[in-house]
Parts: sequence; C-alpha cells; structure tokens
Amino acid sequence: MIARTRRRRGDPAFTALAMLALGLYVLFIIVPVIMSGWKSLTDENPLMAQARFIGLGNYREMVHDDTLAASLSLTLMTAAAVTIVANAVGIGFAVLLNKTSLSFRMMRTVAFLPQVLSGVIVGFVWRYILAQDGILNHILLSLGIIGRPVSWLGSPDLAIFSVGLVAAWVLTGFTTVVHLAALQSIPVELYHAATVDGASRWQRFRRITFPMLAPGTTISVTISLITMLKLYDIIVALTGGGPAFATQSTALYIINLAFTDDRFGYASAVAMLLLAVSAIIALSVTGLLRRREVDL
Amino acid sequence: MRHNRLLAACLAAGLALIAGCSSPTSGTAKGNGNVTLTYLTFETPSLTASFWNSSIANGEKQVPGVTIKDIVAPSTDRDAYAKQLQASGQFPDLLQSITPSTFAQAGLLKPYEQSWVNANFMLPLGNAYKGKVYIPPTNSQIIPMVFYNKTLFAKAGITGPPKTWAQFMAVCAKLKAAGIVPIELGGSDSFAASMPLTGILSADILGKDPNWLQQRYAGKVHFTDPDVETAVAKYRTMVVDGYFEPGALGVSYANSITNFTSGKTGMYMMGSWFLGAVPKATASNFGSFMTPTDDGSLVVPFAVGGSMAISANTPDPAKATAFAEAWSLNPANYKALIEGDGAFPMLKGKTLADYNVNVSQVFKDSYAYVLAQNTKVSAIGWATNDDSMPSGLNDDFYAAAQALYNSGDVAGQMAKLDADWNSATH
Repeated sequence: MIARTRRRRGDPAFTALAMLALGLYVLFIIVPVIMSGWKSLTDENPLMAQARFIGLGNYREMVHDDTLAASLSLTLMTAAAVTIVANAVGIGFAVLLNKTSLSFRMMRTVAFLPQVLSGVIVGFVWRYILAQDGILNHILLSLGIIGRPVSWLGSPDLAIFSVGLVAAWVLTGFTTVVHLAALQSIPVELYHAATVDGASRWQRFRRITFPMLAPGTTISVTISLITMLKLYDIIVALTGGGPAFATQSTALYIINLAFTDDRFGYASAVAMLLLAVSAIIALSVTGLLRRREVDL
Repeated sequence: MRHNRLLAACLAAGLALIAGCSSPTSGTAKGNGNVTLTYLTFETPSLTASFWNSSIANGEKQVPGVTIKDIVAPSTDRDAYAKQLQASGQFPDLLQSITPSTFAQAGLLKPYEQSWVNANFMLPLGNAYKGKVYIPPTNSQIIPMVFYNKTLFAKAGITGPPKTWAQFMAVCAKLKAAGIVPIELGGSDSFAASMPLTGILSADILGKDPNWLQQRYAGKVHFTDPDVETAVAKYRTMVVDGYFEPGALGVSYANSITNFTSGKTGMYMMGSWFLGAVPKATASNFGSFMTPTDDGSLVVPFAVGGSMAISANTPDPAKATAFAEAWSLNPANYKALIEGDGAFPMLKGKTLADYNVNVSQVFKDSYAYVLAQNTKVSAIGWATNDDSMPSGLNDDFYAAAQALYNSGDVAGQMAKLDADWNSATH
C-alpha cells in the first residue's frame, strides 16, 4: 500500500492533477478570501472605481450593527437547531432503512432526494406548501386540526420555524445517507454476540450502534453546521428574508449589503466575520466529536 | 519530459478556464463597423422571453450593424444584478428599467440628447435625474391605484368609489360587515406589502409637499415627524380593524392577483401594471380610484420610465443610442407594454387609438388620471427621478410596511427608517 502511494506520488499525471486541483483551490478559494480580507479594510462601493482604505472602520461598525446581530443570532440559532434535528432524524431513518431489500433501497433514494434538489427549487416548492392557502393549511383545516389558516410565512416566529423546517428536511437526506454508510460498516458479529448475551434492541442501539456511528456523526454534524451557517438559497426562495428581515441570514445580509446598499467593503468585513465564526464552530465541533470517536 | 508536457497542458487548461471566466459580457466593436451590444432585460408573466426577442429583433433591423446579446436578470431586481455585473467588470451596454440615479452618480450612464427627448415625449423631464434623462420617459405608472370590484361593492350596498379617507374607511367597514375581505394584500412579496403605505404617504405627505423627498435629502423633514407618523398610523388602523386579508403576509403577489380578480376581495392597492392582469372577460366589473386624502383632494402617485439606460462605457455610443431610441419609439413595443403590462404610453401627440390596442374601460379610466391636469407626485420608492430613494432604502421601506403589519410600533419603525436613510446617504 505504501509502495503504491509512493509510486503515485512520483507519477507525473498524479502530480499534474494534484497541482491543477491545488491551483484551482488557491484561485477560487484562497485568493477570493484574501481579496475579501483586503476589501474589508476599505469603503469599496461596487459602482465606484475608487475605494478608500479605512483600516478597521468596518469592523468597528459591526459592533453597533443591530441588523448584523439579528442575522447572526438567527443564523447560529437555526444552525444549531437544524443540525440537531436533521442528525437525530437522519440516525432514525438510517436505522429504519438499514435493510438490503429492493423496497428499502428505493426508500433510501427517496430519503436522499431532498439533498439533490436545488435549494431554490426546494424553497419555491415549500413556499407553495406553506402559503396562506397552501397545501399544509388545506390539510390541517380538513382534518380539523386548525380552525383557520396558519400564517407559516407571514408571522416572524413561524417564518423562522418554517425556514428551519425546510432546511432540516433537506439536510435529513444527507444525514441519513452518511449514517447509513456508517451503519453498514459496523460488524454484524457485534450484534450477534450482543443478542447471544441477551441484549435488548434498545441496548444494542445504545451500546453498539450509536457509539459506532461516531465517525459518520462527526462528518454529518460538521457538514450540516457549515451548510446552515452559509444558508442563502432556501431563504431567498422561501421568504426572501422577510417578513421585515425576520429570516435574513448572515449570508443573505452580506449579499444585500453588497448589491442593494452598495457597501462592498462592509459586506466583505461581515463575510470575514462569518468565515471566522464558521471556522471556529466547525473546528470546535469537529474536535469535540473526534474526541468521542477516540473514546470508543 | 512527459511530466513537463502534462504540467504545461494543465497550466494551459487552467489559463483557458480563467480566461473563460473573465471574458467580458459587455459589448465588442468589430473592425467592419459592426458591434455586439449587451442588453440587460428581465422577464415577468407579461414581459416574456418572446416579447424581448421580438423587440430586440425589431431594433436590430432598424439599426444595421448592431447585434444584441440579451442578458436576462435572474429576478425582477435589475438594479442589484446590474451592480453584480459592474462589480465583475461586465456592466451591460444597455440596461432596461433600472433606477438611473445610483448608476448616474457613479458616472456609469450616458444621458440622452434632450432635444430628442423633448421632441418625442409628453413629459420630457418626468424621470430626469439632476436635469438629465437617462431613461426615455416612454410610459408611466400610477403606484398604487386602488382597484375595486363593482359587484362586491354593490353587494355591500356601496354606491361608488370613496373620495375622502373617512369614506374609504366606511367602505372597508361595509365590505367587512357584508362578509367580504375589504382589501387584498400580497404581503409575502415585500414590495406588494408596501403598497398601502406607499399610497397613504404619497397622498398625505407628498400631496401636501411634493418636494418632501428632496427635503428629506436635505435633512429638513424626517419620517419621525408627526404628520408622517399620523399618516402611517392610518395603515395600522387598517390592519387593526381587519381590513386586509387574514394572514396577508403569507399571501404571495401572484396569489393576491388571483384572489382579487376571482372576486374573493373587494379592493386591491397595486401599481397600475395590474391592469395588464385584469381578465378581459370580467374587466367591466373592475374600477379604480386614487388613495383618498382626508379632504378629498386628488393626488396621483406617479412614476415615469419604461425604456433603457445606456452605459457611458459602451464601445459604440452612437449605435447603442440608435438602438435604444429605435426601441423606445417602436409601436409594437408600446402595444405589448400597454396590453400586457398596463403601461400608460407617454409619446407626444398620440392618443390611445394610435397604438392600435385592445384595452378595457378600467384601463381607459385609469389612463385618464395620467392625461388630466391634477396633482401628480412622485410615488415613494418607485419614482426614478430626483425623488428616487437612496440605495437600499426601498427594501427598508418595504420591511417597515411588513413590520407594521405585525407591530404597532409606528414611532420605532419610522425612527429605524430615518436611521437607515442617514446611513445610506452618509
């Protein structure tokens, strides 16, 4: 194996492809981040040719920006809630769908479907479902669960809940597949031995399945968190950030600052803040979850 | 050697990719006098791809040597997309229905010859910004009008449209008492949510002081002034008294049109472009009036525009201007805009009959407000002349309208608007 890897490293095709990948990464990730960092120190306006260097002025302004505080709070709150819900439901689905028959394989595909849909399409579809005269209200009214239509997208609190619900629906497809893959790597012998020892279903889940899922959970939770921290497309299509900016995530706020308010420099500063927050959270969560893997 | 060749190939591929990514979409002049110009358009249910294709083809025929490359904005927010294109070095040569002030301030637009504008349009300076016309005033809109359903009015015992605010409130109360939702509001789309507030402020504030927005720029008046807060409180009264559709902020703009045209609600405050959506079969059942004022005086919230701006950096200003002028005077475009988008034509010396259009009586009655001598004021948030709001303020204004649907904090929302205005202008 080591010899094979060494052979690959010396292979010019491997080197060329690695260089190309690295080049693209630097070009499309590292360079824009550096440029954004530089712009965050200016008062750049997308329409004006000249920008002034203003040092840390944009960062100082962020301290007093109530809209930023609200959008960051919304982003962090929904990221935490959706990550927990999507992963809990994903583990449940994975356990239920961990069978080999054709019907279960088909159900796995169905479970993954939301993940492969464009966020914009998902947002628009759910906008129809959650509208005042949408399908959900029709169903709830016909079942007698509600007496009059619920304003899922019109009331600030319910709109936030709706964004979380839709994001969780999308992410559950991903978390299900990741946990299914993790489940299938658990040796069957462990379950056989536990069964012989008289372990109940719950005990088998608690003592074998859940701990052995840890590597999958690390990946799933980290990617779910990162996805939620940069959530933009679903919100734009579902609520447009409304009502009255109640569902404006930090990513959406950055776009609005840059291309509606013409404040490229300040938008870049907020983007740097979001990058830092995302990096800190992702590294902390990964570190915490990895420790759980080591403890196994 | 093989290694080097592969590396060189990868490098070439990378450079090609970069070159592809940075290829400009702005126009290019060719040696033979021909030019390809980029044109930012947008699509709506009434301004479809087919309309743009045929209008562009007609313009190309009229100006030999011009080829137009159509860039369709991903949403109806042309301004934001134009800014994105500018930020990436791809500012189009021609830009349909943008807000010129923001771009003109940055020197990105070329004004039209005033003599050509004067010769062709009824209100040559209707949308001039600092004395120059960046978009020909080909047509106009009233934003908002109050449309009403004559059958539902009769059912509620209402004999005609109200003239004063008190009569308007009485009409709402009668409709509600008759079990009819008085006013349709597609509040899920923020611009639609702001229509009642736009109507009230245009009538009560700009009706009394047409220069109010200029005064606001000068810092002499504020949203927190008592007269503004009193006007905004009228909107809150409409909400509190239950005159809008329940859960209106969950109703989309598209659904609001369907709800009103299908007879579910009594009135609808919307821009005059709604006239393009009135079903022909039932058009006679609809009427229109202006947002009433306290004393019954007539105030028409007005916005003029309708055609395209020209980039100051276009490679062939003469041909770009020739195309824009040809497009702005083309009778086929007027016919499509009048019938499909409810546009009120503003060509000098023409009557509605000259456009060979098939329009409803409610359209003719509404157009009469444009032609009559009356108090026309800039529609707040819609006018693209000197009264256009600072960048970003429109969204804040829409958000305030949505917030006031859910909250009675008029003073707080107005203070926020003032703060947003100050932030946008400093």
